[in-house]
Amino acid sequence: MASHGVPRVSASEAPTEKSRQQELRKIEQYKELVNLVNTKAAEQQYTTEVLALTSTLLKTNPEYYTIWNYRRRILQYQFNQYVKDRALGDENHQDGQANVGSDLITTDLRFIIPLLIEYPKCYWIWNHRLWLLQQSSTISGDSVSLQLWQEELGLVGKMLRRDSRNFLGWNYRRHVVAQLEFLGQPEKESESMTETEFAYTTRMIKVNLSNFSAWHNRSKLIPKLLNERSADESARRKVLDAEFKQIQRALYTDPYDQSLWFYYQFLMSTISPSAKRSSLILLEITNYDRLNFYERELDNLRDMLDGAEDCKWIYQALLQYTSIYLELDAGNKTITTSEMRAWLEELRKLDPLRKSRWDDMEQRLNL
Amino acid sequence: MSLASGPGRARTDTAHLPDDLRLYIDKHVMYIQSLDRRKDELEYWLTEHLRLSGLYWGLTALHLLGQPDALPRDEIIDFVISCMHDNGGFGAAPGHDAHMLYTVSGVQILAMLDAFEDFEQRVQDGKRKIGHFISNFQNRDTGTFAGDEWGETDTRFLYGALNALSLLGMLHLVDVTKAVEHVDSCANFDGGYGTGPGAESHAGQIFTCVGALTIAGRLDLVDRDKLGAWLSERQLPNGGLNGRPEKLEDVCYSWWVVSSLAMIGRLHWIDKEKLATFILRCQDPELGGIADRPGDMVDVFHTVFGIAGLSLIGYPGLQEVDPVYCMPKSITQRILAG
Repeated sequence: MASHGVPRVSASEAPTEKSRQQELRKIEQYKELVNLVNTKAAEQQYTTEVLALTSTLLKTNPEYYTIWNYRRRILQYQFNQYVKDRALGDENHQDGQANVGSDLITTDLRFIIPLLIEYPKCYWIWNHRLWLLQQSSTISGDSVSLQLWQEELGLVGKMLRRDSRNFLGWNYRRHVVAQLEFLGQPEKESESMTETEFAYTTRMIKVNLSNFSAWHNRSKLIPKLLNERSADESARRKVLDAEFKQIQRALYTDPYDQSLWFYYQFLMSTISPSAKRSSLILLEITNYDRLNFYERELDNLRDMLDGAEDCKWIYQALLQYTSIYLELDAGNKTITTSEMRAWLEELRKLDPLRKSRWDDMEQRLNL
Repeated sequence: MSLASGPGRARTDTAHLPDDLRLYIDKHVMYIQSLDRRKDELEYWLTEHLRLSGLYWGLTALHLLGQPDALPRDEIIDFVISCMHDNGGFGAAPGHDAHMLYTVSGVQILAMLDAFEDFEQRVQDGKRKIGHFISNFQNRDTGTFAGDEWGETDTRFLYGALNALSLLGMLHLVDVTKAVEHVDSCANFDGGYGTGPGAESHAGQIFTCVGALTIAGRLDLVDRDKLGAWLSERQLPNGGLNGRPEKLEDVCYSWWVVSSLAMIGRLHWIDKEKLATFILRCQDPELGGIADRPGDMVDVFHTVFGIAGLSLIGYPGLQEVDPVYCMPKSITQRILAG
């Protein structure tokens, strides 16, 4: 229904009678399986045999959300049976039973992995996985559950190595981290994973500078990281300078990559007078500090033009931050209107797609 | 009555596209009409879990193409009602579980067919049931919405809830202020929004968040210049739009990005002519339908979002689309004037 990147079939490859017959046979088989599973569902059958039938169906069609729901009802039923047995059973029996619930969960977690690898953008698969893990505390106890969540971190790491921009994967990772932090709390004073997650984004960026998903996560982690470190102003300043240095180096490597420019925008936004308190890096920043920052960055941007005169992003940044700089210090004459006009002209030449945006900018900046 | 996907098959590839590109209106109408007759293709059966949304996509495309009666009204209403559960929710097809996504599609279809009265006559208390199904999924503490009883939350479901409830005139059933607070908590430094707090900006989610804020009358919360800049950078040199930085272009973003730009008054920040050319190049000139990229398999999802994108940028011969609802403007205006 929403196919992506599948080449259109041309007439020369039109189906033969034989392949048409094959297609019809496949349809028959598929419909038979669907009918069988739906009949079992209507009869409220929650057996292991039916669970296996849903596996077969979901392997053919993992988008069939109703079948995932049915699968959860079956598992729920089996969990309940297990919990009931456990409540009735004696000590020995309990030991024997202890694995049954956990086995149900780990078997299902394993069942999903090949599906996840084949269909990494299918919401229902990720959802089912989360549901299983959420059940694990009740069924298997907190320590087993904690271990399962820890293994998830490894899995989602693998998934993000396969596709480092999969936003379902990144969402899942943030969820797993939040759970691990929550589950780990009773044992240690602080179970925050902000430091390790921050280091993870550093590693991902080193592999591929263009990974905006990693840069984005970094933008969310930095303010949290500094708060958790109870960083003082000078420590904060050091972090900010290191981030600027890092992005500067990246921009010199590839000034045409917009992922980098958006992270640069994030850093600049934290020193802007209109920054939200929750996203601040420096907590106490005076206007004088700000002016210094803007001057330093505007100088850097101008230097960056050398050899990259055809890079529209530099002109965009120059214009954007000059306008804030001039608002901060109205009497400033270090940047002239004619210089800004020249940047805008370059921008128009280099980026005609967004012509009207530059027209609006001209008006807004009174150029 | 069911509009499944089923790929289109073309005899030419893009190299043979005519120089003077145009919108093949008749071909697209025929393509959409053919979707319910593809029962000899496995794809038809594999996409049953999307059927009701497929019907909404096809019907919207037909309305925008100026052929609102190209599918039989009575059969559509029968099918919509056959997807409804006692709890007021709709599944994708008969026998499929109720979910927010298909409930919204059901409401949008009924609205487009001006069929709320017919529906109410056939399903006693039907509208009220739908309203309660949707409003029950709001978490009153956080303002978020789940998609179904299993609890996945996503700004897609929040938008869907406000979309359907506003069409039904039942927004009072939910805490709109809380919903708005939740959307605001999903905002990122780049002006965009993600699936939830902390998630990366994504053009599809931006559409849902800006749409929800528009319905709630709270566009004042959006940093229009910042978001407009980010959205306009989605346009690539070939005219197509991507959904996030450094990703490939795809026709469906002709809707998610462009409708968001329209809602915040920055539609002029992209090159409309180049976008139109890109969308037209994604058509199947032989059998109709639009694909994600030139030369790919067409489907009804990309067909409607391609056509709706063309409508937004004023392509001649199309009905005007409402950027908030992805439905004909004439219809949403009538309903919302109530």
